[in-house]
Amino acid sequence: MLPTSGRKMTRTTVLFVSLVALGFLIATFDVRDDGDGIANVFREGTQSIFEPMQKATDWVASPVVGFVDGVANLAGLREENNRLQDRVRDLEAQVLETGSIQEQVRQLEAILGVEPPGELATVTARIYSSGPSAFDNARFIDKGANDGIVVGQAVIDEDGLVGRVDLVSANDARIRLIIDPLVSAGVRIQSTNETGIVSGRGDGPLRLEMFRATAGISQGDLVVTDGSRFPPGLVVGRIVADAQSEVGFVLRAEVEPAANLSKVDYVKVIIGWTALDADLQDGVIDTAVSTTSTTVTTTTLPQPEE
Amino acid sequence: MSRARVAIALLAVVLSLVIQTTVFGASGIEPLGVAPAFVTLVVIALGPYVESEYHLLLGFTAGILADLMGSGTLGLWAMSLTVVAYASSRLRARFNEGLLLSLALVLALTVLGQVVFVVLGTLFGQNLLSDPALIAKVLLPALWNLVLAVPVLAVLNMAFNRRDKGWAV
Repeated sequence: MLPTSGRKMTRTTVLFVSLVALGFLIATFDVRDDGDGIANVFREGTQSIFEPMQKATDWVASPVVGFVDGVANLAGLREENNRLQDRVRDLEAQVLETGSIQEQVRQLEAILGVEPPGELATVTARIYSSGPSAFDNARFIDKGANDGIVVGQAVIDEDGLVGRVDLVSANDARIRLIIDPLVSAGVRIQSTNETGIVSGRGDGPLRLEMFRATAGISQGDLVVTDGSRFPPGLVVGRIVADAQSEVGFVLRAEVEPAANLSKVDYVKVIIGWTALDADLQDGVIDTAVSTTSTTVTTTTLPQPEE
Repeated sequence: MSRARVAIALLAVVLSLVIQTTVFGASGIEPLGVAPAFVTLVVIALGPYVESEYHLLLGFTAGILADLMGSGTLGLWAMSLTVVAYASSRLRARFNEGLLLSLALVLALTVLGQVVFVVLGTLFGQNLLSDPALIAKVLLPALWNLVLAVPVLAVLNMAFNRRDKGWAV
């Protein structure tokens, strides 16, 4: 017979082993289900319960957080301010040039009878919470199925591709950032027009793989989506360093994401475009879209600037 | 253990999850780009106040809720925080041996939780080892937890002691 403390320790240890075994079983089932099935029902339920508390906390804490963040990053703010001022000057110059070019394009379209490309419908959403650890690249937005959002849609900000929608409930949705290892996108190098695939690594630059590259790529080359999984022409980022293709080998390079993923507050979900990949549509794409309470805007996608 | 004590502990876990995903979440406070592991800190800090079995159950509950609120495989944080709670409850007597030792325990147990999560995540195909910021994501949360440990331990101490003096009468 064990002494009381020994029996107590045994009971605690048995409970510990049981809970770890239960966790292992849950993880195994979740992996087998590929993150779908009953797990998603529980995820949506939990998110619905926590959502009001998260939104309230976010509302109360955001001014304080902004102040603390500002004080902690004073040097960074000055740098950011200079960068933005440079950008404004560049954009003002571009606007002047673009005005006359647009007029010429309109005239040529009219002469040739060409139908101009339609703009994509987007829904603007605010990020109100994130995943519970530094390893989690999920963000939660305050718009959901009621606003026309479905799984697989591209999420952008003013700089470029942010991620894709991977879980949707009535009034909110979860997006997975492009740096997540489970997110990949077909891309095109703008300078060479050759295609490849970028995938996340959890943090930092994305991994680019090009299987049929015939030309090299240079540092700073712009990488845009190729239109397979996301709408074509969305800015993904820029090549970090020169890379050459070798015959019979895959060209590998790194791409610095254009969007500042650590400081995204507002995003746009592109709801007016359907992915070619049937598995992404997941049968949800036909869901009736109710846009009664949401402003659906049309957006000219973040355009590559060379 | 009284129901009120369990209720306070559960409330602490729920609040820690809300704070982790908002204040220390997207666009929140992330010094050097990595947020504190606040849920882990609260699970550790509950050690001296709840019995071992309850502590394990609280760790598991906090973990499964964290899993449900994230995008990773379900069960990984549940296992990691159960391990943290187990280690914490085995060392609970040490928390009474001074603040410095308590802080050292917080540091060590947070690193333990992060490492267990990375190992389990890799086992279950989360590809965490390829993360270029892996070392920072393991060590920095532990450092930030060190800073947050003093107020968190003080608040929990106040909550549990006030309950013992007031509500238990």
